[in-house]
Amino acid sequence: MADNSDRFTFQFDGRTIEARSGDTVASALYRAGRRIFTRSFKYHRPRGLLCLAGKCPNCMMNVDGTPNVRACITPAREGMTVRHQNAYPSLENDWLSLVQRFDRLMPVGWYYKTMTHQWSWHAAESYIRQVAGLGVAPQPGGGSKDYEHAWMHAEVAVIGGGPAGLQAAVEMAHDGSPVVLIDDQPELGGHLRYQKRAGAVASALVDQLRATPSAQIISRSYCFGLYEGNLLGVVQANPHGGAIERLIHLRAKRVVIATGAYEVPFTFENNDLPGVMLSTAVQRLIHLHGIKPGERAVVVATGAPPDEVAEDLSQAGVELVSILAPSEVIAATGATHVTGLRTKSGELSCDLLVMCGQRVPDAGLLHQAGGKLVWNQDRGAFLPAELPANVSAVGEVAGAWLARAMPLPPERVSFHKRSFVCFCSDVSTADLRDAMSEGFDHIETLKRYTTLTMGPCQGRMCQLAGIAICAHETGRTMTETGVTTARPPNPSVSLGALAGPRHHPFRRTPMHDAHDQSGAAWMDMGDWKRPRYYKTASCQSEQACVEEEYRAVRERVGIIDVSTLGKLDVKGRDAGKLLDKVYTNRFSDLKPGRVRYSVLCDEAGIMLDDGTISRLADDHYFITTTTGNLDFVQQWLEWWLVGTGWDVHITNVTGGRAAVNLAGPQARDVLHALTACDLSSRAFPYMACREADVAEVPALLLRIGFVGETGWEIHFPAEYGEFLWLKLLEAGKPFDIRPFGVEAQRLLRLEKRHVIVGVDTDALSNPYEAGMAWVAKLEKPDFIGRNALSRQAAAAAEQRLVGFIMNDASLPQDGAAILVGGALAGRVTSARYSPGNGKAVGLAWVSAKSSAAGAEIEIRVNGGTARARIVEEAFYDPAGDRLRM
Amino acid sequence: MSFLIPCPHCGNRSVYEFRFGGEVKTRPHPDSPAAEWMEYTYTKANEAGVQKEWWFHRLGCRQWLQARRNTTTNEVIEAFFPE
Repeated sequence: MADNSDRFTFQFDGRTIEARSGDTVASALYRAGRRIFTRSFKYHRPRGLLCLAGKCPNCMMNVDGTPNVRACITPAREGMTVRHQNAYPSLENDWLSLVQRFDRLMPVGWYYKTMTHQWSWHAAESYIRQVAGLGVAPQPGGGSKDYEHAWMHAEVAVIGGGPAGLQAAVEMAHDGSPVVLIDDQPELGGHLRYQKRAGAVASALVDQLRATPSAQIISRSYCFGLYEGNLLGVVQANPHGGAIERLIHLRAKRVVIATGAYEVPFTFENNDLPGVMLSTAVQRLIHLHGIKPGERAVVVATGAPPDEVAEDLSQAGVELVSILAPSEVIAATGATHVTGLRTKSGELSCDLLVMCGQRVPDAGLLHQAGGKLVWNQDRGAFLPAELPANVSAVGEVAGAWLARAMPLPPERVSFHKRSFVCFCSDVSTADLRDAMSEGFDHIETLKRYTTLTMGPCQGRMCQLAGIAICAHETGRTMTETGVTTARPPNPSVSLGALAGPRHHPFRRTPMHDAHDQSGAAWMDMGDWKRPRYYKTASCQSEQACVEEEYRAVRERVGIIDVSTLGKLDVKGRDAGKLLDKVYTNRFSDLKPGRVRYSVLCDEAGIMLDDGTISRLADDHYFITTTTGNLDFVQQWLEWWLVGTGWDVHITNVTGGRAAVNLAGPQARDVLHALTACDLSSRAFPYMACREADVAEVPALLLRIGFVGETGWEIHFPAEYGEFLWLKLLEAGKPFDIRPFGVEAQRLLRLEKRHVIVGVDTDALSNPYEAGMAWVAKLEKPDFIGRNALSRQAAAAAEQRLVGFIMNDASLPQDGAAILVGGALAGRVTSARYSPGNGKAVGLAWVSAKSSAAGAEIEIRVNGGTARARIVEEAFYDPAGDRLRM
Repeated sequence: MSFLIPCPHCGNRSVYEFRFGGEVKTRPHPDSPAAEWMEYTYTKANEAGVQKEWWFHRLGCRQWLQARRNTTTNEVIEAFFPE
């Protein structure tokens, strides 16, 4: 009941509307005199309240920036901003309503009939896009509110808060089972709320349920889908002030569907005029909102006289002009609101036309559950049969209390182009007849051709009428005609609700803040944030900064945070055996204190990942993986371990260890200042590893050289990440040390022709074609991929990964096409300007026959082509002397 | 796709917690003929009915398990850790 003492206001199209506690947006607007609530999709005809239950498309508005909100089930709130949609300039004067004058030019199947040439679509597209669609999508970043997701589990989920749903929930929860009840209305009670004689029953049931501790009630939420494993998709409107909608993933052992039934309109000419309303909508206006719906009403009903509705109208002070059977009605009259009725026995004057229509079970979820819907002639409804286990239907949706109100299929259909079946897309009885005469007389093809049942209401208003007319025209029974398939989502769900919160978790390395202070320009790599390069006072552009960082590494010393590398600690008697089986290189014969590089292939010989493996002790190895592949590699190793009984323990230590790579001709001098470890090449040669303290931090030092200079990869406890980073920078100060980012690292490694698996290789790359034959030890008796690799080793390569250097100053983009003799012969995987060469260098896949060293290729650059030469060796220090210094 | 997998360690969990590992196959002996390796590497039975599959419980116990699943109904008959 509306409470008259509590009044507040909201804005509609710039005007202030007074609302009362208990009002919906629609009821407040109706009380304020509004009769046109939207304009129809195709013809822009004025439309007013029809169902007042959230079932029809007639009151969709923009609420606080969110389009297509059903005003009739959205509670009015103080200060909200509501705008009309699909009309310009206003709902009362919509210029596009002129479209209906040209309806002859827009027959059913208009797109198929008109857009028969490509040019016709090109010519029409921009105009159609301007006028088509419903509502305007909110602009990105336009709102401060958000969407959220939640997960719930229940013993029983009851969908629908009417009497049947309430009763079911009370009974199921009574033994303490967790029960969740979902209801889409502002208040529980279903039709008992507005069918006044039963009002007391509703509140008693609601009180009983609220007093049951194991029952949870979620109001103003609709269930849009019932999926495999009894997973329910539920959207809750305004769960709290900070969220527009919450998507609840509700998993229930049992689902009770109590969605009830809704009333559907009759089809006659101008049945869509504002003022033509369903009887349940009129009852809602009177009993829920205390609104007198009109002055003079005509009631259209079949079967028994609608006593209750007549009584409600007279008590509300509405003059009842007449009660008619639908077969008497010819047309409603009026321009933008109903002013009268043309009947077989003459004209009647009225401002309210009340349709006591057929009640239709809201059975979409039952259909989705895999239930079969069977026509029941007595009840005039498709009712569930053969429901799956753990899904049941109660109340009107199961057929209780339903009665057929009219002959179905009808004995006569009045075909008229203004007699609407589908209110969402303006499909009339005449459109259906035309479509069927064109051959679309199966209910499923009729649906697809006319878009019947495909609009925002998803067939709630039109499905039964559509089937009935199809049955009538084709001479088939309702059963033979059948029902269109209901699929989720139904009703429609906003993309925002599905997408969920704008929350992207990411990982920071322990040195993150230090990078920030050094001017890091960030990039995303997998889950991680990494410095792409560092902005300093001395460089203005990314290119200049990267070149400075490059020169520091090549000429002095640089340091990069490589904490994001995947790090696996592998221990156990059989650790070497597992690595031998999974990696292509050999590890069981690796001496403790040594490091070896390897790739990881699948059984087809495709490279999946690469990294270094250090042997720390006889039964202890330390693996690094590429940043994004850690999970995959760990799962891969564990997979091949299953069932072997081998003694191997794999521990992911990625988050626990920080890592830096200190590289450059003076790297040894910097490190020497902080450690007692003998760093000379004699004591600590290239591809060796040592455990030693660095600045008193216990560390693992790997002497490896991804960037091509003397250097150490230092792994140490993450807690000391920032401490040791700053210590190293401090120790490097006398040598003008420079932190470098991912971009400089990529350039440095490219000059060395070091491949990045996943960048320079793809899902077809084997080590032979990638020029890394040495990494596959075919003499091992068995390893993953050996069989395929041994065949690839013997076969002629089809393509090869080669280095190239440009002939001129042009710089190709990664992915640029390679041409040989004008024909496509490959693609660039990485290309950068190489300061060491004064030209761009890169890696590229080239067809084997064009891949000889010294051969000329053409590369697509900026729409033209530039010439390049294939180079066999690394572009920098091909002998690797600098790594071993 | 929203069925449940009865993880032998964690209990009934949503399939979204798992990574699919494909059909369970027997890896040929290293010296097996090429045709056998080809079959193992590239072809799938793609059973319309119950098949044995690998699943990894990514967001749970992080262990590899095997399940017998009916591919036409997504009913998981059993899930277990292989011996």
